[in-house]
Amino acid sequence: MASRDAATDGDIVRAVLAGDVERYAVLVERHRDRHARYAVHMLGSPDAAEDAVQDALLRAFDRLADCREPDKFAGWLFLILRNRCLAERRRDRREGRLPEGAAEAVAAPERSDGALEQQEQGRALARALGLLTAEQREVVVLKHVEGLAYEEIAQRTGATVASLKMRMHRAYDRLRELMKEHL
Amino acid sequence: MTRTYHVDVKRVLDGEITLADLPPELQAEGAEALRLIAALDRAPVTLPPAFEAKVMRAVRDRATAPMRRVWRWLSAPHEVELRLRVRPWAVSGVTLAAAAVLGLLLVKPQPPARSGSAARPAAANVVFVRFVLHAPGAKGVAVAGTFNQWDQNAAPLIPAGTDGVWTTTLALPVGQHQYAFVIDGRQWIVDPAAPAMDDGFGRRNSLVVVTMQGARTL
Repeated sequence: MASRDAATDGDIVRAVLAGDVERYAVLVERHRDRHARYAVHMLGSPDAAEDAVQDALLRAFDRLADCREPDKFAGWLFLILRNRCLAERRRDRREGRLPEGAAEAVAAPERSDGALEQQEQGRALARALGLLTAEQREVVVLKHVEGLAYEEIAQRTGATVASLKMRMHRAYDRLRELMKEHL
Repeated sequence: MTRTYHVDVKRVLDGEITLADLPPELQAEGAEALRLIAALDRAPVTLPPAFEAKVMRAVRDRATAPMRRVWRWLSAPHEVELRLRVRPWAVSGVTLAAAAVLGLLLVKPQPPARSGSAARPAAANVVFVRFVLHAPGAKGVAVAGTFNQWDQNAAPLIPAGTDGVWTTTLALPVGQHQYAFVIDGRQWIVDPAAPAMDDGFGRRNSLVVVTMQGARTL
């Protein structure tokens, strides 16, 4: 059973490269949900996220020989998924599927109460996240959803801590503006 | 009018200070900002159970695609077993010849290649390429690339003097190679003396082109 495989990611990558294709199932099982939440927040829908994670895993398989550090397969897979998500976001923006910057605010319902209000605020915030730039959205997700420190985000994305903070601070202001009817 | 958060409120959101550290006039703004960020959905996401089977079906299709099989066979190293039948007198002859070649190599070492990525022909399609990196403070430096399957232990550099210059010379086949230096076994950097290209995964690799006339960076 794949989940009981005690081999390291590096061992499995080397086994797959040596021809044992079925061992790739262990990597799929280990990493399928690991970055799924990131993908959902980046792309805005579970279906799009599932497609993105699948594409990333297949692309990783196709290019497995290029994995420079097999023991860091998870980080390498994240980079592939990240590129995929950012590319899709940029394509959506180019094709006008996301009216980035077009919306001035996310409308609030006329009346609400307690838990319902909280739920609605969560939904509105998810919509507001979709109106941020891909880079702003990513830093919000990695810091406030995935719980990473700026230094960890810098390590994963290759950006500097200073530029990440600048992105984040602009994102805070943008979210405040977009959510003004809910605050 | 655009309402922006006070810089100290952003520091609260960043976790650098707490709400209690804010002056009284910023407390309400800080509380509002925290409420906003707290509303983010942090629920774990689980992909459907059939996901794994779907991915593996696609993986098997790709693995059995004829072109991929051919490519894998061409790019994978193969063990070749050679069986020779020799007579005892031939063994001593070969040993003497090998000793003579070794002696020649020891007596007349090859002149070092020029600094940078200069090269000199060695065999029919192999060229010596010298890799040089200035890395003061490094405890170990290696070069890993497409020519050694990105194995960071395969080609360590040797310190040249005491001023942080590390160097090694590798015999590379004619063609185009991507590579990177690995410092202290964990930090991957591109060659500052060579152009770099995106590896398709958000990282950068250096590029060297080896021809029978020598090596050049693109």
